[in-house]
Amino acid sequence: MLAKLTGWLLLGIVRLLTGAQARWYGCPPKAEQRIYFANHQSHADLVMIWAALPEELRSITRPIAARDYWANTPVKRWITTEVFNAVYVERQAAPAATASPAPVAVEAPPPAPAARAVAPSPAERIEPSMEPLLPLTTPEPPAETVPEAQGRLDLPEPPAPPPPSAEPEAPPVAAAPAPDPLAPLVEALRSGDSIIIFPEGTRGHTGEPQKFKSGLYTLATMFPEVVLVPAWIDNVQRVMPKGEIVPVPILCSVTFGAPIRVEEGEERRPFLDRARAAVIALRDV
Amino acid sequence: MNQFLRSLTPTQQVAALFLIVFGLLAIVSATAFFLTFRERRNPVHDAAWQAELAHFRALLGTTWFMVIIFWIGWALGETVATVLFALISFFALREFITLSPTRRGDHRSLILAFFVVLPIQFWLVATARFDLFTVFIPVYVFLAIPVASALADDPSQFLERNAKLQWGIMVCVYGMSHVPALLLLSFPGYEGKSAFLVFFLVFVVQTSVLVQHLISRRMQRTPFAPNVSRSFNWTSWGIGIVVASLVGALFSFITPFRFGQALAVSVIACIAGSMGHLVMKALKRDRGIPNWGQKGVGVTGANGLLDRVDALCFAAPIFFHSIRWYFNA
Repeated sequence: MLAKLTGWLLLGIVRLLTGAQARWYGCPPKAEQRIYFANHQSHADLVMIWAALPEELRSITRPIAARDYWANTPVKRWITTEVFNAVYVERQAAPAATASPAPVAVEAPPPAPAARAVAPSPAERIEPSMEPLLPLTTPEPPAETVPEAQGRLDLPEPPAPPPPSAEPEAPPVAAAPAPDPLAPLVEALRSGDSIIIFPEGTRGHTGEPQKFKSGLYTLATMFPEVVLVPAWIDNVQRVMPKGEIVPVPILCSVTFGAPIRVEEGEERRPFLDRARAAVIALRDV
Repeated sequence: MNQFLRSLTPTQQVAALFLIVFGLLAIVSATAFFLTFRERRNPVHDAAWQAELAHFRALLGTTWFMVIIFWIGWALGETVATVLFALISFFALREFITLSPTRRGDHRSLILAFFVVLPIQFWLVATARFDLFTVFIPVYVFLAIPVASALADDPSQFLERNAKLQWGIMVCVYGMSHVPALLLLSFPGYEGKSAFLVFFLVFVVQTSVLVQHLISRRMQRTPFAPNVSRSFNWTSWGIGIVVASLVGALFSFITPFRFGQALAVSVIACIAGSMGHLVMKALKRDRGIPNWGQKGVGVTGANGLLDRVDALCFAAPIFFHSIRWYFNA
């Protein structure tokens, strides 16, 4: 009851401040199982896309919330679980894993801010276990795929057969172990809910979205029947830039585009780039 | 008829006015609705005609919405009316800011504009502090906003950013706040009928804009300032002013003015309104948009409210101050 009232109140505030307009280009709002994937520029993205969905879809769609931000106070935790019905993901796992091999391997620039935010507590807990395992998985795939593969999927399964390049084996393995960051999403999808994910992993600070992490690909291959809908969230970073607490009223919109799917035999990287392009294309619709 | 209307109390007169407006709207809407069933023989003409009709019906919808808002505002009293105009002003400013690029450093100034300046201005209106309400924004706010921006430590395009914000406040907040302020003017022998004055202003200004729009569509004159507006030319502008002013003069019986006075204030309001509309068009062109948020133009989700109210935002302060100065109201 209280959650419902808070939801209405929040919805009212969001509409008053931003309009929270949903623009459906390429697909109608429909109660089928979907994975919405969107660009990520602000923590308020979650609220925006939640508010933009029609009432009927809101109840069956679960957004993804980063646990380190959305669960660090009781109020936020209550709102995310009770009002947004969100699925928590351990964001630390992603940047920490990327950050630790980064100096050694290739990818340096992207994880910088996230790594800084994450560094203090949980990273230390994960890193030691990660370091020795990494070499086991890394040898064969091209260096470029390594960090982003660890980003979401591979951390728990180093002992398993080589996952990064082979798609068919990966899903069943990935679903099983407990600390898998994707596990909560898989569970939500198994139970028939739609989900909203931000495949960039962290918030970007420029207009261009960063490279997509592989979680989207994994989920897409694991649940081929679920419809993948790209979405572009516009203007949210102007409403509440990093470090501010009072939002400014500026009109925002969420544009939903035509669904995409993993083509027969499509590799991970081409698919992720295509997905990213689909999101970016919505900016100018 | 006239005798009967005069014998009514002011409240009943306003109610009668709304009744007439609602009745007219109902007739027009019903006609438009039944026209949608009509089929033309030529399918091409039919499609074009149906599109035009759909556009017209959308306009009608807006009109209904505005009239109902006015009616609620009047029925619930001056305070509610002021709050309603404050909301309209809020939405208009929201649209304005959305379409003018701001930087990270403007955040505090924007908060100031939306959550401090706007409420204070309308509170000053509601409490009828006319001396402060006319200078609050041009004096205090215009000096305070740059301070907030300077404290944000971002010098790039400083003047431009501040000018945009101040202009937005000037048009959307200052201009709009003069509409409810009309409710508080007191003319001798005109107590309780100030709602007519608001109606008069809105009606006359919208008429001039509408007539001008229709005329420029019919007569393909060369536009005077084609880079700003492809439709603006002096002929249709003049016709719009004349028609709207005459209509205003004919409605002088609902105002405290005599025929000639009503004509004069109508001319003033119409010139200010139509010129304001032109100014806002220049602003839109600068931002590269034909409309303040036509569907499919901007990703912003702006809904074109500013398009509807910009003429009013310019006409209201001039109308207000000229009659306050002349009639000492």
